[in-house]
Amino acid sequence: MQYRVLLIEGNRMMLERLTAVIRDTKDFELAGRYQKAGDALKQGGVFHPNLILLDAEVESNVALIPEFGKAFPSVPVLCMNTRWNAENASHLVQAGAQGYLLKPFTRIELKEAVDTFAKGNMGASSCLIAFFSPKGKSGKTTLIANLALSLAAKTGDSVGIIDADLQFSDMSVFFNLAPQSTIVEAVRDVHFLSPVTLKPYYMPVTDRVSVLCGTKKPEYAEMVETKKFADVLAMSRNLFRYLLVDLPPGFGPISIAAAESSDMTILTASLNGGFEMLQMKRALEIFHDWDDFDERVRAVFTRVSPCNEETRQQLEQIVGCRVAGIVPNEYKLVSEAADNGRMAHDISPDSPLMHSINTIADRIISSQKAV
Amino acid sequence: MESGSGVIITVFSTASAVGKTFLATNLAAVLGSAGYRVCLMDLDLQFGDVCNYLAINPEKTLFEAQRDVANDAEGFDPLPYLVDYQCKDTSITVMAAPKLLEEAYNVDTDAVVEVTRKLAKEFDYIVVDMAPAFSELNLAILDITTIVTFVGIVDFIPTIKNMKSGWDTLKMIGYDGNRIRFVLNRGGSQTRIGLDEVEQILGSPFYHILPNDFHMAQQSIKEAGPLVLLHPDTELAEGIRELTAKYTNRDSLNNTQERESSGGWLSRLFE
Repeated sequence: MQYRVLLIEGNRMMLERLTAVIRDTKDFELAGRYQKAGDALKQGGVFHPNLILLDAEVESNVALIPEFGKAFPSVPVLCMNTRWNAENASHLVQAGAQGYLLKPFTRIELKEAVDTFAKGNMGASSCLIAFFSPKGKSGKTTLIANLALSLAAKTGDSVGIIDADLQFSDMSVFFNLAPQSTIVEAVRDVHFLSPVTLKPYYMPVTDRVSVLCGTKKPEYAEMVETKKFADVLAMSRNLFRYLLVDLPPGFGPISIAAAESSDMTILTASLNGGFEMLQMKRALEIFHDWDDFDERVRAVFTRVSPCNEETRQQLEQIVGCRVAGIVPNEYKLVSEAADNGRMAHDISPDSPLMHSINTIADRIISSQKAV
Repeated sequence: MESGSGVIITVFSTASAVGKTFLATNLAAVLGSAGYRVCLMDLDLQFGDVCNYLAINPEKTLFEAQRDVANDAEGFDPLPYLVDYQCKDTSITVMAAPKLLEEAYNVDTDAVVEVTRKLAKEFDYIVVDMAPAFSELNLAILDITTIVTFVGIVDFIPTIKNMKSGWDTLKMIGYDGNRIRFVLNRGGSQTRIGLDEVEQILGSPFYHILPNDFHMAQQSIKEAGPLVLLHPDTELAEGIRELTAKYTNRDSLNNTQERESSGGWLSRLFE
């Protein structure tokens, strides 16, 4: 597709710089450029732009975003700023902007921004799901990886996975990835990034599913600051319709930050015949303080036998929260998949395991429709 | 180690559900049945299961102990914070994990180390059941630990990867191979990965392999007692006794020499 860009930038030097980048970028041409948004609004129509880049550092420009929407219906508006901030970005989205990029930008960043945002509204309705478990080996990573593929296949939407199980992260092994960058680098750099420049830190596993991999060594976990981690979550919301966050077992600053940012928190436990139900109930107590506990908190149990609706309802009664799904014990399939860096979703789509995970995906999708 | 201080055996792993609590309670029981004074300490602060496994309900826990030692280290006596556990003729004492999650979240590392040191003066053995993470608390306790029992199971590749990175991290921190004892739990269970492959990846042989008897292990947990006391005739109980014997026979020089001269895998461990 050929983009005809209407560029609005108040600073003269920046205007020249961005003009040069647009002219140098393949598939992009400069249809018109303005220093004042009001002029662009009145005159720009004659150039028939199909992409608007708007300087959002000028407060009065932001107020004009709805006007651009009326004057140029179906033309995406991407806001430009020198620094990303979650609050500001959400304000721009509400005003009607499609996306966001930092200026000055490179040719690659411009193309990436259009690829990311022109296809859909940025983060306006993203759903962040934090996956927490009282104890490890709950089947959480298997669940998240396959759920991501299922959500993407069912909705056609983009799905991001963040592996925040910082010391013993597994997601890269599950997907057989050798990441160049991980959560450590994303958190380190977040204050210099925007959604567009954060995106390359994610490793694509399909055309719709990407993973921000966990640390390469346990000691790197210390480098992940909680506040900056929360910023990565907020920024990632702009990239994906569904964002699934794999958390370490137990409560710590990272898991608490992710749960607090979440639209939904799913607690997982594997039923091994020990005291998992007891520990699940203790963990759930922590979330009871939330006013919206009933809407926001779910449990998922793995290795459930017999894995049927009756059991699910019984478990729901025992733990006192909604059970989004139960997953049967399929050790052979799960281990074969993980050992070969493949997914049950792909190698055995009709298995009982995938049937359960698809049901969980359906429940998540319908809860989003309700929202 | 300062004189008069007991042996601290820490049971550690890089994953949950590998049998840490099971092994810790049973190690403590074997040591207790041999007549040693034993304290089993639950350092899986948030979701510890020692009290669940033994069906005990202590009045005081580590939370009160660490709070009080911080106020008066000099006059602190750890004994009132312990709970006795008896099964058949064997008794051990337990330092329980905090009852509430918010208490677990607010435990001071230095104070727990101090409590552990005080316990080590009162007991021959402290067996520590540890949460699977390299937390500040765990590293501080590993520093004063005599033997780290690093428990692993072989189920699938991600677990092996985490065992490897945990093992490498322990070595990086400076624990030599002699202090870390790599114990495989559920050996012989059906897996897709051979044990020799795992040993190759880790660059180290297993110090001890416990046979797989998931059923009896679960049975003993249901019966709220250590397998070694309730079902002493099982292979698994024998395996745990053998492991404990390796720990307690550390002065048996003749025995060690004999093993080394045989050129077996044990000698390679101490190269």
